[in-house]
Amino acid sequence: MAEVKLVSISKSYDQGKTWTLKDINLNIDNGEFIAFIGPSGCGKSTLLRMICGLEDITSGELSINGERVNDRPPNERRAGMVFQSYALYPHMSVAENMAFGLKLAKAKKDVIDERVGEAARILQLQALLERKPKAMSGGQRQRVAIGRSIVQQPRVFLFDEPLSNLDVALRVQMRQEIARLHRRLKTTSIYVTHDQVEAMTLADHIVVLSPLAQDATTNLEQVGKPLELYHHPANLFVAGFIGSPKMNFFDGVIEQNGEEESRIRLTTGESLKAYVNTSKADIGVRVILGIRPEHTLAETDNGNSVDGRIEALERLGAESFIYMSHDTIREHFIVRVEDSLRREEGSRIRVELPPEHCYLFDAKGIAFRRTRAPEIDH
Amino acid sequence: MAMVQSRNLKYRVWTARIVMWLFLLVILFPFFMIISVSLRTGNFATGSLIPENPSLEHWYLALGIPWENADGSITQPPFPVLTWLWNSIKVAITSSAMILILATTGAYAFARLRFRFKQQMLTAMMILQMFPAVLALVAIYSLFDQIGDYIPWLGLDSLGSVTLAYLGGMALHIWLIKGYFETIDNSLEEAAAIDGATPWQAFRFVLLPLSVPILAVVFILAFIASIAEYPVASVLLQSMDNLTLAVGSRQYLNPQNYLWGDFAAAAVLSGLPITVIFLACQRWIVGGLTSGGVKG
Amino acid sequence: MSSSRISIKSPSAYLVIAIVALIDLVLLYGVTLMYAQGELAFAILVLILAAVGSWVFISKKGYNYRYVYPSLLGVVTFIVFPLIYTVNVAFTNYSSNHLLSLDRVRAIHLAKTWRTGGESFSFKMYREGPNFRLMLSSASRATGEHYLTEPFPETSEPLKLKAYVSTHVPTGAELPIREVIKKRSTLKRLDIVLPNGTGLAMTSLRKFGAIAKVYRPDDRIDREYPEQNYALIDNRTGETIYPDMATGYYTNSDGSEQIGPGFTIYTGWDNFTRVFTDPGIQGPFLKIFAWTVIFSALSVVFTLIIGLLLACLVQWEPLKGNGIYRLLLILPYAVPAFISILIFRGLFNQNFGEINLLLDLLFGVKPEWFSNELLAKSMVVIVNTWLGYPYMMILSIGLLKSIPDDLYEASAIDGATPVQNLFHITIPMIIKPLTPLLIASFAFNFNNLVLIALLTDGAPDMLHATTPAGATDILVSYTFRIAFGSYGQDYGLASAIATVIFLMVGFIAWVNLKATRQLQ
Repeated sequence: MAEVKLVSISKSYDQGKTWTLKDINLNIDNGEFIAFIGPSGCGKSTLLRMICGLEDITSGELSINGERVNDRPPNERRAGMVFQSYALYPHMSVAENMAFGLKLAKAKKDVIDERVGEAARILQLQALLERKPKAMSGGQRQRVAIGRSIVQQPRVFLFDEPLSNLDVALRVQMRQEIARLHRRLKTTSIYVTHDQVEAMTLADHIVVLSPLAQDATTNLEQVGKPLELYHHPANLFVAGFIGSPKMNFFDGVIEQNGEEESRIRLTTGESLKAYVNTSKADIGVRVILGIRPEHTLAETDNGNSVDGRIEALERLGAESFIYMSHDTIREHFIVRVEDSLRREEGSRIRVELPPEHCYLFDAKGIAFRRTRAPEIDH
Repeated sequence: MAMVQSRNLKYRVWTARIVMWLFLLVILFPFFMIISVSLRTGNFATGSLIPENPSLEHWYLALGIPWENADGSITQPPFPVLTWLWNSIKVAITSSAMILILATTGAYAFARLRFRFKQQMLTAMMILQMFPAVLALVAIYSLFDQIGDYIPWLGLDSLGSVTLAYLGGMALHIWLIKGYFETIDNSLEEAAAIDGATPWQAFRFVLLPLSVPILAVVFILAFIASIAEYPVASVLLQSMDNLTLAVGSRQYLNPQNYLWGDFAAAAVLSGLPITVIFLACQRWIVGGLTSGGVKG
Repeated sequence: MSSSRISIKSPSAYLVIAIVALIDLVLLYGVTLMYAQGELAFAILVLILAAVGSWVFISKKGYNYRYVYPSLLGVVTFIVFPLIYTVNVAFTNYSSNHLLSLDRVRAIHLAKTWRTGGESFSFKMYREGPNFRLMLSSASRATGEHYLTEPFPETSEPLKLKAYVSTHVPTGAELPIREVIKKRSTLKRLDIVLPNGTGLAMTSLRKFGAIAKVYRPDDRIDREYPEQNYALIDNRTGETIYPDMATGYYTNSDGSEQIGPGFTIYTGWDNFTRVFTDPGIQGPFLKIFAWTVIFSALSVVFTLIIGLLLACLVQWEPLKGNGIYRLLLILPYAVPAFISILIFRGLFNQNFGEINLLLDLLFGVKPEWFSNELLAKSMVVIVNTWLGYPYMMILSIGLLKSIPDDLYEASAIDGATPVQNLFHITIPMIIKPLTPLLIASFAFNFNNLVLIALLTDGAPDMLHATTPAGATDILVSYTFRIAFGSYGQDYGLASAIATVIFLMVGFIAWVNLKATRQLQ
């Protein structure tokens, strides 16, 4: 059990010419479940590997339980890791795989047997103990990989996209198993994934990382509870990354500012109300208005609506997505409707954007505070 | 192929078979001949493939047992063949084992660890392995002459010097093993590191057990190369009892002292174990040659 | 558990330090020895290697080098160092006539003695326990009076003995002449000093005579000749000799007489100039170079053709028993080459060889395989093809397996013949991965010393060659014979040729590297 603290951690593979990670600050409390999420290339796996010692830390300070561990090799950090490829030792049986670390630590045989037995029981691997990894299914291998870290009783569990090699059904099942396991062991866990569903369902807090832009000071975009990221994204990147399908964005300017509500004029001329606090912004500055597809209302018009042409319709049965064109958007904007629409492709409809569901970002992408969204304790 | 074959297939198969057997007959002729020669009487007798009056004379001499001729005179074994064979085996086993240890650790570093000049070292190694030791014999000779001043058992005319000189063949094997290591998932060793293994333990308990096939190939290749090596051994070794088989065997066919029959028996005797080893390990060697060759 | 993980210096770390310290101690002792013997370069080299090695194995920063250091050391010692050394020797006159350094040659000259004439003494040798004593008598002495030496043991080191005048005969047993002859290696090392200071040394099996050093160092420093520190004065004539740095010999002042042994000097590009201009070397060199290229190329072509055809045949499924065919076909590769080559040497023997017996029986001819140039060359190529085709076959089988079957199925639908298949599918598919291997095979044959040395040893010999050269010699065997042949060993010239070959092999290696890179 441990607290993990990252102070201004940065990573460069070429002596500072280009950076993969910059100025990452995090406090992970004892027993917490943290997910690192971000598109590929954002450095989330690198950050994980730096925590367990597989990559060295270019600058910054990493401490576990208050002790600086920057220069400690992996074998001295007491972190357990579950790899994407499982990384089971092919020449050892399941029992040997799980006992390997304890044997290296010169644990007594009865301790080893007890811990391996315990882990096997928790993960329902008792019947497979003598099998070689080759003779097992993906889900079973995954369980062995988890078991291998459990028996070590690590201070931190690290998961590196552990479910990405599994098929969908198995992924859901394993996700629940990992959640159950964490409830039971209450070990600090860090979970890297590119799948926001996994992050939203498993994590206490989510850390959103972005690929480092040329002149950015950091690529840590936001740390927060799952619903906090959903309702109060700190910036355009998080807003666009969390939620599926993606949030729609419209370009515009502030027409009327205020603490409780504001009015935005889109570049196409439509004037829209949004419950956001823009009291610190001047009238006329460029902003970006966002709304999630699931919050739009097709063919309704309460005065807060935009007009668009239906480009494509995706009917999924329970819900349908309408891909619409609008002059302020280069691509489509997406509208979710529950019943299938009677309209054909090519026809024009109005879409209501309820003001309490609108997000607003300034030209740099920083979010304005939403005033009528659910408040989440940090 | 389960394809439907044309009707003249039968004739083609028979032609192929006949061609194959004729070819084999030509190819294997030297082997039949040498066995036959080893059973002839005397060193100058000529005769048909099946000796008319077979005698074990040459075999006795090859095994180091004096042979009593029909007229009662005794022929002493001309050369200590078994000593040579034993020398060759000693040198081959020691040098192959050393090559294996050094090439394996070196290959591990090249495949897995980060250090400066790695790429340059690899390229240099690639080019260096093509320089034959033959060309640097003058240097190798002087080197061991010098070493011998301080460590006599590594000086000239010692088996130690030959063993050590064969380590130069290591560069090729480093490439071979490195290629194999790179096919093994790196995360296995990372998992071991997380499990608390030092880099050495990860190497010893995870990577090595998984690399046994290539290690066997390298050992066998180095062993055979060492047994068959002639130039270096011929320069470094001088006294009769220190020769390796490759250098010693040459003594049989001196124009002044032409011992054809004795050579035949010695050749069969000493060539047989090596051939059997090669054929037994054939599959592995073939795999090693092709993969190593193609990967460079 | 946690304590063992957190401590950095585990017991094994201390063990490593102890071992490194031990090795360093041994090496330091060796370095001191070398330094004492004046081998400064070697001493420094060992010192550097030891220092780097210790750092690598003790420092944490050197950890990654720990795995690569021993193998690099091996590669450097046994490939790189000999390479550099060879190139260095190429610029010297190092040979059997110029084997030693100038210092050693000077020491040899200074140790030379000559009989000054005068009295000579016959001697008798007496045993005294484990030691011996000599009684020296001469005609000019009064009867009954002679010199006796101090007792001396058997020795392999030079030994200085005092002798004194005596009338007594030693008490020990006199050694018979046969025993005395057996002790001559000890006797030759004795330097007996008579009471008057005259030195005596063994001059013949029965006699000791007065000797003196031939040379003494010339310690005047105002002379105008090169290397005057090394100059020597001949005690017999008073003439000064000095080392001639152009020829590598000591000469007298007008340079008319060279006094052996020679010493090693740098001769610049001389060896290379000889290779390319001396008709006795340039002629054979160019011929041999041409033959080396032809031989390597023919070997590659023949082994490839036979190997590829056999590979196709062995892979052909209707031909059953492929495993046995393959095993038998690999046999020439499985038997150690030096044995097969010697077998062929015997089989091709002109008078007793079974091949000629067979040819005589069938056609009534007995070709001169070893003395006719063309026949000898054909024999070399035939034997090398026999030796090499299994390797090509093995490689081809491996590559053939990688060609997808559906290509042949498609061509069968198009109605292609086996020959068309070979030229339009098989060869184009495997030629790319095969190219680097063919280049490597070319380089191997380019340097195939074993074949030539054991089969023909270059025979038949070329005429008008300064150094031994033969029609079947390839560059390496030619070089090998210059360096280690039975007539005059010219290491300098051999190294120069080796350097030229290095450049060629380096070029081939570079081309191969390009070919391999292209493949990837």
